[in-house]
Order: sequence, then structure tokens, then C-alpha cells
Amino acid sequence: MRKAWLKWTMLGAPALIAAGCATAPDPATTRQIAEKMVSEDFTAPTPALLKRLEQDRSQRICSKIGDAKLTQEEAAEVVKLARASIQYPASGKLVGDWKVGNTLAHDGAGDRIQFGRLEKRKENGGLCQNCHALAPGEINVGNVGPSLTGYGAQRGNSEAIAKLTYERIYNAWAYSPCSNMPRLGATRHLTPEQIAHLVAFLIDPASPVNGKR
Amino acid sequence: MPTTRGGFAAILLACLAAWGAALAQSDDPLAVGRKMLAEDNPGELWIERGKALFHQKRGPRNASLEQCDFGLGPGKLDGATAQLPRYFPDTDRVQDLESRLLTCMVQLQGFNRDDIVKRAISPAGSNGSDVEALALYITSRSNGMKINISLSHQKEYDAYKAGEYLFYRRSGQTDFACLQCHGEANKRIRLQDLIHMTDKKGVQEVVSTWPAYRGAHFVVRTMQWRLYDCFWQMRLPELKYASDASIALTTYLHYQGNGAVIKVPGFKR
Repeated sequence: MRKAWLKWTMLGAPALIAAGCATAPDPATTRQIAEKMVSEDFTAPTPALLKRLEQDRSQRICSKIGDAKLTQEEAAEVVKLARASIQYPASGKLVGDWKVGNTLAHDGAGDRIQFGRLEKRKENGGLCQNCHALAPGEINVGNVGPSLTGYGAQRGNSEAIAKLTYERIYNAWAYSPCSNMPRLGATRHLTPEQIAHLVAFLIDPASPVNGKR
Repeated sequence: MPTTRGGFAAILLACLAAWGAALAQSDDPLAVGRKMLAEDNPGELWIERGKALFHQKRGPRNASLEQCDFGLGPGKLDGATAQLPRYFPDTDRVQDLESRLLTCMVQLQGFNRDDIVKRAISPAGSNGSDVEALALYITSRSNGMKINISLSHQKEYDAYKAGEYLFYRRSGQTDFACLQCHGEANKRIRLQDLIHMTDKKGVQEVVSTWPAYRGAHFVVRTMQWRLYDCFWQMRLPELKYASDASIALTTYLHYQGNGAVIKVPGFKR
């Protein structure tokens, strides 16, 4: 069996080369070719904005190709880095104003780059509506992430829940390494104060998220 | 006459049955609206314009594009797009339709590359760009044919693997790669369907329907635009038009979608 395999390989390989068949480049070569593209094929109004394409350690770990799985060590490292990244509002208040949070959750704008210009905003939108169901009966919501309808009604609004919710928004990878959820606080897309408003939006009993259907 | 009437009734019945079946199959009320719009695609108007532009003598050299080689020989358009992106020895590059079009507009017609690139993606609500009309016309000459990308040249294989790498490469403040939105079935951003591109059927839908009429923009959009716009939403820097990165991603997607039957213009919301 083994000999037959060897024989076919020896006969086949030169034939393939003669036919001009290309071979799969090894991962290091692919990485080199692709990273060269990343560094040459994008433009931004300032060099600092071009740096957005650079990956941090966690992003590199979380970019598994195809069915490649995260190892336990890698997952542990991502969690560790995520835990270390979390910062809290200067005021120490993790629960802000749900009304501000409601507006933020439905704001998908901010910080995009087009026609050589950066989208100027005082602060970025929270992007929540893009991926999560929010208030009961709200139709224009995405489903990439889990539904948040009744989030606080199901979990309560204890200090522990507030802290967990804050941390999951600030850096979701502290709990679910490499999940699709952006690390909204750690990447500086949102400020700690904005995240506190989103926490209120999710856990305050008066928030529409926890309203009746 | 009776035969005609009978035939008409049969067609009507068949249509009603098909319509009923479509309604019954679809849990998504939006799908019905989308189907209705797709059947009356304004993008068709761009095909004639692209055809006229292709044959017209234009540019500083006063030449048509009739001698442009899209891979099957000068002026051979039927089925050409089905095999793009591919390696071209004259430029020593893997090129997609749009980058090859640029090569010809520069070399044959004498246009300035930067000028074409600047106008390639037209403003929403405009009459559209020459490149958009040309890309649609040339692709329409592959309608009904199957996508058939080969990775026989090493640079094609390299581009394919680089495209795959980029598809999974997370970066920026949203931590997104393509995969985060296009890695699962039946997902939406708000109400917009996201195509499941790690699935054969999903990726085939993508590669066989661009250029497409984009309803919200009232113009025909191309694959280059589609990629550019994704990076914009991801908060990443601007993808250069017809760049190697864009071609690598297209090579990856098209190879994954091999066998899909081209049907353009597509219709997108």
C-alpha cells in the first residue's frame, strides 16, 4: 500500500510540475504576502489611522483560519489580556443613565473613514442595534449576537450583575475569548462613561429593554 | 386562438403556483419584496451603456476596448469573467475584472490611471461611472456560464491563500474580519441579510451576482465597491481600488464559489 502511494507520488509530482500546477504556499509565506498587502493597499487621512490595521496580540490569536481551533493556552492568554485591559469610569459608577444608553445603543455611526476623511463625531455610537435584539417588539435589529430583550428582567440589577455587564461590554473576550463581540472599551471605540450608560440601558427596570411585550 | 388562450392560462396557473410556493417557502416577508424588485432590475440599463463604451473610440489614443484581453484573447468576452481573477503574463499580476479593465483603459486608450480610479466608484444617485457600466457589460457576456477559477499559476494560488488569510484577519476597533459577519447562516445586521460565505451556496450567491444594482444608491455597484464598503463599516482604512488585497479577497471568494452560474446584474437592497 505504502509503496503504491510512493510510486504514484513520484510519477505524479513531476507530471504536475510539468503541467504548471501550483502548490499551496506554506502559512508563513501566505502571512508574509498578505501582511504586505495590508501594509500597502489601504489609505487613511493620517498615519495614525493607518495603524488601525495593525493587530494586537489577541487579534492575532483570534484570527484562526478555517476550522482551526483555539488552543486552551491561547484562550487563557486572551482572557488574561482582556482582564488586564478593563478600566472603570473615574467616578466609579458602573451604572449610568439608561436614556443616554438607549440612544447610544441605537447609534451605529462614528469613526468611519471615507473619501480621505474621518467621520467626525463627538463620540461613537454603541452599535448594539446592529447585532442584538433590544426592546420587545423592536423590528429593526440584527441577530449576529444574542437577544438582549429582557436582559435585566432576567438577571436583576445587582452590583454583581452591573459589574459583569460592564466588563462584558468593555471587553467581551474576558468571558468569551475570541467571540464575535467587539472589545468596545478595550479598543477605545467607547468610553467607560458610555459603557456605564449601556449597562443602565440593559439592567434598569425602567429601560425599554426590560419592558413588557 | 383557443390554444393560445389555453397556453396563457397554463402559464398564469404555473406563475400563480410558483408564486404561492415562493410565499409558502419563505418565512421572511422581505424576501417577497426583494424578489419582485429583482424581476424588474434597473441595472439592465447599464449593460447597453457599457456595451457602447466598450466599442466607442475613447481616450487620448482614440481607441476602443475591442483589443482588450481579459484572459481568453483580445476582444474575447464570452465567458471571460467566469475565469477571473487570473494571472496575466503581460502585467505579471493576478487581476480581477476591474483591475484588468484599468490596465486596458491605460494601455490601449491612454487614460490616466489615477483619474479613472478616482471616478471608478460613483456617488449614490449619480449616473454611475464608466468602469461600473463596462464591468457590468463585460460580466453580462458570461451570463449563464459557470465560475471556473483555476489556481494553476503559483501567483494565483498565493493570491487565493492571501485572500483566505485576509478573510479571517481581525483588526481595528471593532475586532472584525469578514468572518464575524459572514461566518454563519441566517444572520442579519439590523434588517440586512448577511450572506453566509463559509458556505458553498452562500459564496456562490456572492460571486455570481456582482456587478449589481444597489437599490439604496440608485446605481450599479461592483465587487470592488462591495469590499471597499465592508472595510468602511469595519472602521478600517480605505481599501485601494483594484489593489492586490482586494484581488486576493476576490480570488478567494470566487474560487470558493466555483460552479456558480453567473447572473448579472444582481439586485441588492
